Parts: sequence; structure tokens; C-alpha cells
Amino acid sequence: MKNKENASNSLGALLNKSDTIIAIILTLIIAFLWFETTKFEKVPDLFSNNIPPEMFPQILLIIILGMVLIIPFEHIFLKKSGKNIDSSRKNPVEISTIGTMIILTAIIASSQILGAALTIIAVSISLPLYWGERRLKVLISYVVGFPLFVIVLFNVILGVHFEPGLLDLIKN
Amino acid sequence: MEDIVKGIGLLLEFQNILLILSGVLIGVLVGALPGLSSPMAIALLIPFTISLDPVAAIAMMAALYCAGTFGGSITAILINAPGAPPAVATALDGYPMAKNGEPGRALGLAAVSSVFGGIFSLIIFIFAAPLLAKLALEFGPAEYFGLAVFALSMLASMSGKSSLRNLISGLVGVLIGTIGIHLTTGVERFTFDIPDLEEGIHFVPVLIGLFAVSELFKQSEKLNAVVERIQAKALRLPSLIELKKLKYTILRSSGIGTFIGILPAEGSTVAAIIGYNEARRWSKDKDKFGKGSPEGIVGPEAANNAAAGGAMVPTLALGIPGSGSTALILAALIMHGFRPGPYLISETPEFVYAIFGAMLIANLGFLFIGLVGAKFFSLVAFIPKKLLWPAVFIFSMIGSYSFASSMFDVWVMLAAGLVGYFMDRHGFSAAPLVMGLILGKLVEESFSQSMIIHDNNFFALLESPVVLLFFVLTFLSLSSPFWTRYFSKK
Repeated sequence: MKNKENASNSLGALLNKSDTIIAIILTLIIAFLWFETTKFEKVPDLFSNNIPPEMFPQILLIIILGMVLIIPFEHIFLKKSGKNIDSSRKNPVEISTIGTMIILTAIIASSQILGAALTIIAVSISLPLYWGERRLKVLISYVVGFPLFVIVLFNVILGVHFEPGLLDLIKN
Repeated sequence: MEDIVKGIGLLLEFQNILLILSGVLIGVLVGALPGLSSPMAIALLIPFTISLDPVAAIAMMAALYCAGTFGGSITAILINAPGAPPAVATALDGYPMAKNGEPGRALGLAAVSSVFGGIFSLIIFIFAAPLLAKLALEFGPAEYFGLAVFALSMLASMSGKSSLRNLISGLVGVLIGTIGIHLTTGVERFTFDIPDLEEGIHFVPVLIGLFAVSELFKQSEKLNAVVERIQAKALRLPSLIELKKLKYTILRSSGIGTFIGILPAEGSTVAAIIGYNEARRWSKDKDKFGKGSPEGIVGPEAANNAAAGGAMVPTLALGIPGSGSTALILAALIMHGFRPGPYLISETPEFVYAIFGAMLIANLGFLFIGLVGAKFFSLVAFIPKKLLWPAVFIFSMIGSYSFASSMFDVWVMLAAGLVGYFMDRHGFSAAPLVMGLILGKLVEESFSQSMIIHDNNFFALLESPVVLLFFVLTFLSLSSPFWTRYFSKK
């Protein structure tokens, strides 16, 4: 029993927990991509010059897999050279970062309905407000001034096509 | 000589000069803003330069690249927050000198040594690039494959925590490059029946996502960070006597920086760190290092700017990027219809000399901007992050969308940003992925062509001494962590 515990302890010291999870995720992705390569359309050898389209991606996947399998043990080598791979991930992802990710995803998801101008305004309002900007004068001048500057620069001067979105509906 | 004159002639149009100076201004600005970097600015700029004349577009980006490296040292010196990674070593002595009441002197030393390093590397560039290109003209697909494999192996030693993770990132970049229709056979690869993926994933949204959006997520963690600021009234140029004392340090660092820049995948950050270490090793006043030593400022500054010029040599002569920023310039060249490599120099030498001229103007431009605008740039670093980053996101969205007027690209940008954020958290750098993505096509094409030529016999590739040399270099590069540890123990 004690031997078993020691064995699991030494294995625990060998493997870095976060890196093991990363290695498992990457291995699953590699397995999925390998499976995808087997579904590539088959081409006659003459046509493909004996280099089928799946050959190069498969070589890459094998090399990447070989490297991925070392990742859980890499912390041992890094420690020897004075590097700590866990330093940048010792704290959990901040709530403000997760919130930012959600807000931006939601804005992009609704951008086709909103149209370009309203999307720009939405970003200009939501991010500073969410990040705690409460100076009203600063906020108002930013929300009015910055989108106006962007629209004039890109749409009017540089001719980038901006989808009208909701504004078009309102106009009609 | 005629080509040099033609190249300079291409630059001397009013619009081009204006764009180069704008590139310098943007470069110093993004360099001075912590979190923003020149690769990010180049990535954001690429979609808007598509409609420009290629000379103007690439010259603007090259100028931004040069100036961005210097811009990073402004905040490194004044607020101990390097605006860009290459300025990390400058902060070690620049900030203490500024704290000792000499911020103008520290900025002046940084500016003059940067200009010297930059011009030194450009002189080497003007001689080395055509020579390297002439040599590369003899290369066949097998030699190019060997070179590309060597360049990929050099990703291991790029700045970052782990060589292994750099290599994985690089290879994932190459793998992303295989998405879309296979050119030789017309077979769809990894398209998952999504029509937008048939043409593959465009560089631009990936670059913007990895450099700009992932940085936004990182910055959202430290929105309320307070920094101590030292006000610089003006930049003070060093006296001739002081420059005389520092001449060997500047020269040595310029040489080191240029050499490191020329090596594929090695960038300004590595050059700056080695430049600083060598300045300290050769110094008679080692005790002053870390307390505001002038050698501790000019050493890394000359090296990091020299590396910027050096990195352009393999980029233009071989089509192998010398750093993250040059990888983006390479992407821009491809988008403008150029094939970077020896043919670029042999067929359009005037274009290459025009880039050289733009970088020369940029080097002199940022000295001028530093002289007149030091006070302004020291204030720029205090633009509230809560207003700056939403603006960066808006530029990122427009940049990704406008490239092909496609919302799919905006989603790719966001996905790249999310992936980039988590990659960084777990020690995987974004720059090797970008370089892998850009080198991917070259690797696959040269691999396929060499296999066809050599009847699918991989070992037949080794009959070429050049390929053999590149493979030996690849082996040395990959095994370097082991043998450097072995020799350092001895």
C-alpha cells in the first residue's frame, strides 16, 4: 500500500498537473485532426505525384504529438534552468478578463444585426463602463468622439464598407 | 549604384515620405505605450495598406518597425515599464539614471545609440542582402526545404519560457497553413465543409488576434496598475566626449545586434539582452550597472535597433523572417504580390533599396521626433487603459473585416485572440506560431517538390551538401539547450 502511495507521489512529482491537462487536450485535438486527414478525398498517385494531400499534415501531427507528450515532464528541465512555467498561470483567470471575453463575443455575435456604426459605439460604451470608467464627461466625449473619428476615417476617407445594420431598418 | 538611385527615387515622392514619417510617429507612439507593440501595429496596419503602392506600404511598415523598437525605450526609461520587449534591458539602467534626475540624458543616450545601431545594420544589410540572395539563387527546392526546417528549429531559441513550446507553436502555425484547398491536388483539407475555409485562413485576422486582441485580454487583468512617472522635459544629446567613451560599447553592440538579427527567428529582445550582458562584461565600471550606467543603456539600445535592420536581411534575401515583426512585413510583401527571396533582390533591386532608404529615414526620423517630442511621448504612456484598449479592439475589428469584407475573419480574429491569451498563460508564444504560419507554404511546397525530384527518397536529399549543412545546423540548434548546459557546467 505504502509502495503504491510512494509510486503515485513520485509520478505526481514527475508530472505537472496543468501541463498534463494541456497535453491530454492537445492529444485529443491531434487524434481528431488525424481522423480528419483520413477523410481527405483520395487522389490517384499519378495525379498527386506520390505525395497524397494528407501526407504533410500527418507528418506534422506526428511530430507535434511527440513534442506534446514531453510537455507534462518539461517543468523538470525548466526548473533546472531556473524557469518556472507556472508563474504566469498561478492565479486563476480574472473575472474582468472572462467578462471582457464574454462582452466582446456578444458584441461580435450581434454585429451583423447592429451594423458597423452601432457595433463601434457598443464597444466604446461597454468596455470602459465594464472596466470601471465612471467619469461622465470623459465617457460621453469618448463615446461620441471616437466612433465619429473612426467612421469618418475609415468609411468616409478610406472607403471601407460599413454594414448599416439596424440603422438601415430605422431609416426605412 | 543605378538601382540605389532608382530606389531612393521611388521614396522621394511626397506621399511616400509622408507615410514613412507617419510610420515613424506611429512606431514611437505604440512603442511608448505599454502593451502596444510594433508587431501589433504592423498587423493592424496591413489591411489598410493593401490599396497603397507596395513601396509606400512596405516602407511605412519598415519605418514603424525601426521606430517601434526605439519607442519602447521611452517608457522603459521614464516609468520602468518597457513599452516593447526589446527595451527590457534598457530599463535596467535607464530607469535608475532617470530616477537620479537625468531622464533627458538617458533618453538621449538611448536615441543616439539606437540611431547608430540602426544605421550600422543597414550598411551591413545593403552589402549582405544581395550576397545572400546571390547564394540563394543557386538553391533548389531541397535546399529551401533544409533552410525552412533550420528556420523552424531556430524558433526554439526565440524569447519565451520554453523552447519546446515555441517549437510546438511554430509547427501548429505550419499546420494552420495547410487549411484550405491543396494546390497540387485540389483536395480540401481541414475545411469542415465551411466555405470560408476553402481559401485557407488569412494571415491578417490571425495576426491581429494573436498580437492585439490577446494583449487586450492580458491588459484587462491589470487595468488599475499604478506606475510612478518621471517627467522628461527634453531629450539631451550626449556630448562628443561621452560618445567617445562609449564608442566601443556601441560598436560592439551594433555588431552583436546585426549578427543576431540576421539569424532566422532571433529578434531584437535576444540581441538587447546579449548587448547588455556584453556591455557589462567588457565594462571597467561593472559596479555602476543597475544604478544608471550609460553603458547599460547604449549596449542594449544599439543592439536591439541593429537587430531590427539585421532581421531584414534573411526576410528579403531568403524569404525567411528574422523576427516577429519581419514575419508580418513578409506577410505584407506576399499580399502585395511579391515573392520574398532571392528573386526579389535580383529582379526588383530598386524596391529593396527603397526599403533600405525608408529604414534610414526612420532612424533619423525617430531621433528628430525624440528631440522635439520627448515630453509628449512621456505623457502618452498615461492614456487611460480603459479608453485605449476599446479603441485597439475597434481598429482590430475594422482591420480584420476590411481585409476581405468578411465577418468570418472577425470571428477568426476573436478566436485567435482567445487562443493567444491562453497560449501565453501556459507558456506558448504567439510569434513562433505566426512565423510557422508564414513559413508553412514554403515548407510544404519545397518538401513536396524535393520528394518528387528525389523519387520520394527522403535520404537522397542529404546528397546536397547545403541540405546536409542546414540539417546539421538544425540538429545543433535543437540540441543547444543540452550542450550549452554541458559547457557552462565545465
